[in-house]
Amino acid sequence: MNSYIPLLLLFLFGMILAGAFLALSHLLGPRRKSKDKNASYECGLEPSGNPHDRFSVKFYLVAMLFILFDVEVVFLYPWAVQFKEAIQSGMGSFFFSEMILFMVILFVGLLYVYGRKAIEWE
Amino acid sequence: MKQDLIYFLPELIVSITVLFLFLLDCFIGKRSRRIFPVIAFIGIAAMMLANKSSSPLPSARFFSDMMVFDHVSVLFKYIFGLAGLIAIVIANGSHELEKVDKANYFTLLTALVLGMMLLANAHHFLMIYLSLEMVSLLSYILTGSLQGSRRSSEASLKYVIYGGVASGIMAYGISILYGLTGSMTLTGVAEFLRMNAVSKTALYTSVLMIMAGFGFKVASVPFHMWCPDVYEGAPTPFTAFLSVGPKAAGFAVLLRFFFGALSQTTTSGIEPIKIIGLPALLGGLSIATMTLGNLAALQQKSMKRLLAYSSIAHAGYMLLALVALNAEAVTGVIFYLSVYLLMNLGAFLVLIIVGDQLGSEDISVFQGLSKRGPFAALLSIVMTVFMFSLTGIPPMAGFIGKFYLFGSVIKSGHYTLAVIGMLNSVVSLYYYIRVVKIMYFDEPVDGRNLTTPMVSHASTVFALALLTIYLGLFWNGLANIVGQAKLF
Amino acid sequence: MISINSYLFVTVLLFCLGLYNVITRSNAVGILMGVELILNAASLNMVAFAHFNGNLVGGGIFALFLIVLAAAEAAVALAIVVSIYRQFGTIDVEEATNLKG
Repeated sequence: MNSYIPLLLLFLFGMILAGAFLALSHLLGPRRKSKDKNASYECGLEPSGNPHDRFSVKFYLVAMLFILFDVEVVFLYPWAVQFKEAIQSGMGSFFFSEMILFMVILFVGLLYVYGRKAIEWE
Repeated sequence: MKQDLIYFLPELIVSITVLFLFLLDCFIGKRSRRIFPVIAFIGIAAMMLANKSSSPLPSARFFSDMMVFDHVSVLFKYIFGLAGLIAIVIANGSHELEKVDKANYFTLLTALVLGMMLLANAHHFLMIYLSLEMVSLLSYILTGSLQGSRRSSEASLKYVIYGGVASGIMAYGISILYGLTGSMTLTGVAEFLRMNAVSKTALYTSVLMIMAGFGFKVASVPFHMWCPDVYEGAPTPFTAFLSVGPKAAGFAVLLRFFFGALSQTTTSGIEPIKIIGLPALLGGLSIATMTLGNLAALQQKSMKRLLAYSSIAHAGYMLLALVALNAEAVTGVIFYLSVYLLMNLGAFLVLIIVGDQLGSEDISVFQGLSKRGPFAALLSIVMTVFMFSLTGIPPMAGFIGKFYLFGSVIKSGHYTLAVIGMLNSVVSLYYYIRVVKIMYFDEPVDGRNLTTPMVSHASTVFALALLTIYLGLFWNGLANIVGQAKLF
Repeated sequence: MISINSYLFVTVLLFCLGLYNVITRSNAVGILMGVELILNAASLNMVAFAHFNGNLVGGGIFALFLIVLAAAEAAVALAIVVSIYRQFGTIDVEEATNLKG
């Protein structure tokens, strides 16, 4: 427990410092409002378009497909850790074929997504 | 591991069908959508043939204790296959599904059959949880598949929220049970509970939380709130399948859980573990489910909601078998599930035929059905058969099913529960007979006559009615097949 | 050495916060956040029990599968939320009251 006290002190120090900067600049700075300062920030350009415009569902589709194939990769990590041991104990080809089967099933999913044109952007 | 594949052959056939249907979906144009139900039908029929050929295999646990194969699993695969086949036939010509992408629907339905088969044969908690989630996720998608319908989207939203919480609670319960016993398989838990004493509160909490997940699947009280809304909002062909298939799969895993993990085989038969009062808990759940299902169905105006509450009540009757916890209870549940499959799918199919032509799903659609022409008169006789069978009036199959169930409860000594079950059957008489009375003694609201529907629908509904009457008179064949079922 | 009680306390806290989130919120995506909290509480519970019951491996495997399953369920649930938004114009679950009861 004693070795965590410096960490706690660092955390508290960081919070106090950042909080002090924000509070001091809010209390001591000049108050001049102008129209430009209150506009929303869009990387330096003029804000265009309604913030509540209807956005297309393709953003959701791309994000979801990324998540799904990413968690497929998550399954690869423990398999990879055990694969070397499996080769040495003689079950290497079985391990390999199981993982290839898993990836083939997900590849069929990818083919389905491609065929239904869900990953086309325009 | 390769010698285990022979136990997995039916699931393998259905998986290959699903993958093939997915690939077919991308590369086939809009005009040949009619091939999808045919391929799904062939796939599930092939699964049932493989099931028949694998039934003489000895019981075993395979895939390193993840799954189990015994006679009960063979019977459940028959039930799921039959439910899937009839669901494909029902969905094929339904007007309500015109707006649904047919290829998607049949692919997901076949995948749902696969998920149910995996759930009924699961032995490891991870397998149980994953297959339960597979069935649930596919059900959410298929519930919301009616595009442009507010009711369908709302039903799937309620389903997904409720199901997500129920599955989260079940995962937490599994984790507590894992922490108590150190084992993730059903037999491992049973071994540990036989040798060691564990904390009563922790075990009770974990069993309650796991029951949240299973109870959600079979729609038992207090996890039934999604049932009427989802049944009403989903497209009726899918509601028909939902009321039979996932419920049967939920009962399969309930049987495996309570007979496998939470009971011991002693010299005098199977008895539940003594640490927690399991019969009291399950008896209370069962009485609450039956009573609430029957009482709420008494005042329903929509036929789909009435059938939803009636399916909640039937789940209550089947939960009685878990209280009984003997070999006759297992055969009772499987027999009841097979006749329930026939009756319920038949009642929904009549509702689909009538609703497609008259455009509504209220009970008023059945008013004066017997006077709407020759085919409608036949259809009202068929509906009478199904309603009497659901109540449990002889000589229909429902009476035999309830006879076996209540018989197993009486044999185990819980006489009060059997009496309450029979009283509930009497209460349910009111709302089933009300439909029959409306069909025969009321006048139809408009003068339209019913035309003959598709040949597949008409022949299926008559076949189901004939089977119901046949099984009510000559039930020995089915009883012998089911009577050999023993849980491994 | 940290005993198992601290881990169990954290998971119970996460579970209760997730359940509170599901029951109280009216935003559909907020309810899904609560479901994710509950699943993560179960996952942490699995790993904690696996570690303290003699370095078992089953708990860690279950936790890995729970991550994947939470992702799949979020995908399906968010697709349903998109469909709700198309029908009702809002993702407030109080608005979805067409089906009574």
